[in-house]
Amino acid sequence: MFFYYCDLAWRSIRKTPMLSMLMVLAISIGIGITITTLNVYKTMSYNPAGDRSEVINSVQLWSQGLDTWDDFISNITYMDAMNLRNNTELGLKAATYRTGLAMQSDNLKIEPVLQGVRVTDRDFFRIFSVPFVYGSYWDASVDLRPAYQVVISQKLNLRFFEGKNSVGKTVFLDRKPYQIVGVIDDWNPQPKYYDPLNGAFNDAEEIFIPFSLTGQEEFDVWGNTSGWKFEPMLTYNDRLTSEKVWIQFWTELNSEDEKQSLQGWLTRYVEQQRTIGRFTDTAKIPAEAVQISDIDKWLEDNDVVPKDNKILVGLSLLFLSVCLVNILGLLLTKFLKRAPEVGVRRAIGASREQIFSQYMVEVGMIGFIGGVVGLLWAWGSLTALHSYFAMEQSVTGLDASMWIITPLIAISTAVLAGVYPAWVVCRTKPSVYLKAQ
Amino acid sequence: MLHIKPILSSLMRSKSAPILLLLQIILSVAIVANASFIINERLSLMQRESGYAEDQILTFSVYNFDPAIDNIKQNEVDQLILRALPNVIDASYSNMLPLSGSGWMDRWVDSPNEDTAKSTPGFAFYLGNEHLLNVMGAKLIAGRNFSADEINTNLGDSGMLALVSQPLAKAFWGDESPLGKTMYQGDQTVTVVGVVDKLQGAWIDHENFEYSVIQNIDFGGSSSNKTYMVRALPEHIPALEEAIRKALNAENPNRVLDNFQTLTELKSLTYSNHRLMATVLSIMVVLLLLITALGLTGMVMFNIQRRTKQIGTRRALGANKRDIIQYFMVENYLICIVGGVIGGMLALVLGQQLMSLYSLPMVPMIYPIISVIGLLIVTTLAVIVPAAKAANISPAMATRSV
Amino acid sequence: MSTEFELTVFTSTVLLLSAINTEVLQPIKLRKASMLSMKNISKVFKTDLVETHALRDFNLEVQEGEFVAVTGPSGSGKTTFLNIAGLLEGFTSGEFSLDGVNVSNLSDNNSAKVRNEKIGFIFQGFNLIPDLNLAENVEVPLRYRGMKASERKRRVESALEQVGLGARMKHLPTQLSGGQQQRVAIARALAGEPRFLLADEPTGNLDSLMARQVMELLENINQQGTTIIMVTHDPELARRAQRNIQIVDGQVCDFSMYQQAATGTR
Repeated sequence: MFFYYCDLAWRSIRKTPMLSMLMVLAISIGIGITITTLNVYKTMSYNPAGDRSEVINSVQLWSQGLDTWDDFISNITYMDAMNLRNNTELGLKAATYRTGLAMQSDNLKIEPVLQGVRVTDRDFFRIFSVPFVYGSYWDASVDLRPAYQVVISQKLNLRFFEGKNSVGKTVFLDRKPYQIVGVIDDWNPQPKYYDPLNGAFNDAEEIFIPFSLTGQEEFDVWGNTSGWKFEPMLTYNDRLTSEKVWIQFWTELNSEDEKQSLQGWLTRYVEQQRTIGRFTDTAKIPAEAVQISDIDKWLEDNDVVPKDNKILVGLSLLFLSVCLVNILGLLLTKFLKRAPEVGVRRAIGASREQIFSQYMVEVGMIGFIGGVVGLLWAWGSLTALHSYFAMEQSVTGLDASMWIITPLIAISTAVLAGVYPAWVVCRTKPSVYLKAQ
Repeated sequence: MLHIKPILSSLMRSKSAPILLLLQIILSVAIVANASFIINERLSLMQRESGYAEDQILTFSVYNFDPAIDNIKQNEVDQLILRALPNVIDASYSNMLPLSGSGWMDRWVDSPNEDTAKSTPGFAFYLGNEHLLNVMGAKLIAGRNFSADEINTNLGDSGMLALVSQPLAKAFWGDESPLGKTMYQGDQTVTVVGVVDKLQGAWIDHENFEYSVIQNIDFGGSSSNKTYMVRALPEHIPALEEAIRKALNAENPNRVLDNFQTLTELKSLTYSNHRLMATVLSIMVVLLLLITALGLTGMVMFNIQRRTKQIGTRRALGANKRDIIQYFMVENYLICIVGGVIGGMLALVLGQQLMSLYSLPMVPMIYPIISVIGLLIVTTLAVIVPAAKAANISPAMATRSV
Repeated sequence: MSTEFELTVFTSTVLLLSAINTEVLQPIKLRKASMLSMKNISKVFKTDLVETHALRDFNLEVQEGEFVAVTGPSGSGKTTFLNIAGLLEGFTSGEFSLDGVNVSNLSDNNSAKVRNEKIGFIFQGFNLIPDLNLAENVEVPLRYRGMKASERKRRVESALEQVGLGARMKHLPTQLSGGQQQRVAIARALAGEPRFLLADEPTGNLDSLMARQVMELLENINQQGTTIIMVTHDPELARRAQRNIQIVDGQVCDFSMYQQAATGTR
């Protein structure tokens, strides 16, 4: 019976080609726009941490003075970062910021490249589950006593070492020799959740060096530095001893107990810092002057999904509903026009369910075609977004879930639009249309 | 004479179709009003005068990775080389690039006494030498530029001078002239020596976007990573990148030159989200009107087919073609106006939601009104074709049984 | 055939007849079971202002194999009778059995099923589905019966052969003359092998030549055993039926009874 209905639906669609095209156009454009905005929204709001979202936590401190910033700032000061690194109660922990260095190898034929560099501790690799191809992260001692060691990406390894195991080899960063201890596999979480502050969809760094080198190497900060009070910044040491915030701090908390104990430690820390004249905003009690954010909260607080995108999702859903009403009206007129035929079918013995099914199959077919065309629209518009608006590939690539969401939206739209007309038409009284019209 | 009453009662009797049309118009007005408001807002953001000679400025970054390089000296030498290049009007170091989305923000206070001091609003904090103003193409409207011998190389130096943007001067000093005022940054004093007509900062969405300060510090020696701005006529800019690379690499090859961009390109990139929003919403509005119009045409066409006999009867009873067209137009306008009023209210409600959720400004009344008018025009176009076709139905239809 | 009819009158059913007094005049046939039996059927249309009695105390018995012509002036209730007889409409009160089964209070679904399996419809306007070709039109009732494709094909072919249009299966209705279209409609009605045919002015839209052909076809079908009830206003046609019923003001005047009584058996 289903194939019979399909056959009838296809004939009916072909019989009024303009109207059918109009309906397919309406539904496909509505779906195309919705899928486009939804796709961008979905990829932007994706949480790459997955089930580790609650385990991975960052720390924020209310180190600002009275009447300065209204919110917690994502970054913390160097002083606080160093103190947190020395907190032996914590399991995995890593301070991190971004810099840039020119990389070269012994092979002078290969041109130097200026690279974004992540300065961090060894636990960073474990907290964020960074996969290694060769070697591993540096030894724990390096976090305490600086050593010129480096972890590079497989891509750089290919460029400088033809992809061979380069552990133990030397590369030069700003002409300083660093010993390679590990090569990581492709790793580029999107959004870049470990540091979304300067472009949440930028690529991950490909060079990682020990945080402990910061003091002696005085790396430039390629990220936000914010301050709330005037401090002369004449030397790098001024930066390290200032109240300026520029470092992210990450830790792994495996249970509520661990979280509570960190909360307690931080509270005591704030109290202790107040005695030496820091954390001067006494409007905040120490327990409120600390914040532990898991990945969900962190992504939310850092506005990884721009509000424009949320508005677009809302408007495109409204747009889809206009298309839906539009199609509903067209289907209703179309179906009512066929009431005489329905009368005949009913007289001949079709039940209401059979008529209803016949028309729902037709509606479903329009929805299906609309969905397919809509997916094409979405693909086209995402490609356009990528090429004309320099949107990142990671956001404009069609998310796998869209292959499920699109038909779902298409069919539910069509069904919503079709149920009423099909219901009206299946209620046709068989006797009404049988007399010579 | 418009016979509204019979049309109205006929509409009331055939419930579902007019209700659907009404619903569609309500939603359309709500969407179009809000979308066009946002579009207009974004377009006006993009059309703001920046104060810069945008198409004459080429920006780029230099990274001297050789620790042996003396950055202070190198900075001086590089700028001399840049200014000496053919076709270059002027060149200067700048600590930040205008309209780029990243840079320095700072504020001053007007007294050394922390307790009584009044703070200026935050401003974009440009550091540069006496050439910077000329490179930017900004217009000095009062006071003077720095002279070559007044340029400092460090933040801690004494003898700090500043140029302020007119909007900042207005915001802090009102009608009083800021020239000669002494401001404080910690223990340091800064004297305002000039006012620049317009000088936008780096953050296009910041409320203090128009507030800027240029201070007399050539900070290019402070780090190995720095940005330069070079001014040349637009026709000379394309060849400039190659010339700059050649000249600077000849001087010292141990560096990376990167991010060559004109200020126009930089601005366009920074505004790309706004442009994207405006474009997407415009497309949405156009498609929405198109779909509404086509849907309406389709529906009217079907209705006319269904009412062929009725129309024929009307014609036979003496209705002329104009009456028939008028019938459909009035029917359409009735729905449009009712839908428009409800849709307009919905638009305002929706606008209020957006306002509270995303701190957008409130949709002004004019947008729903314009949307309704736009919709009236579109629906007129959509109805007139099938209505004219209906008017051509022969009165003989009345007597024919189809 | 006629001898059978004579023999039918007096048998054990006499008991039944006497029990139901009002139906004494109805012809009861012994071996031919009752095909359609309406007892005291009333149909009232109510609007805010008036009650219209389309049928009132309507009684009719039709036996298997009969060819009954129903006539009556317009507004008499002919159409209402036809709609009720074809289970297209319900009625207000009374009892209605079809092929020995009480169909008084069937659900919409069940009446659709009965229509599909037991009744064949022939309309004045043919009511073929314009998008479907002849074979597909004839196939429609079989589809709703959920019949297998091979069986459908066999039946469609034989039905179209029977009406003489076997060679035109792939034509669309619009490519045919009115008489041909009506023959397709008859084929469609026959394909389901119904217990009886309901024909509503089957020749109303046809010229006299075509009308005669259609009528002959119907007579043929009747002779093969299918009961036919035909609504018409054409006395010429009505006379060709075995039995004439006139509906006046929603009630039956059965002339054939009087005819039979007056002339005796034919």
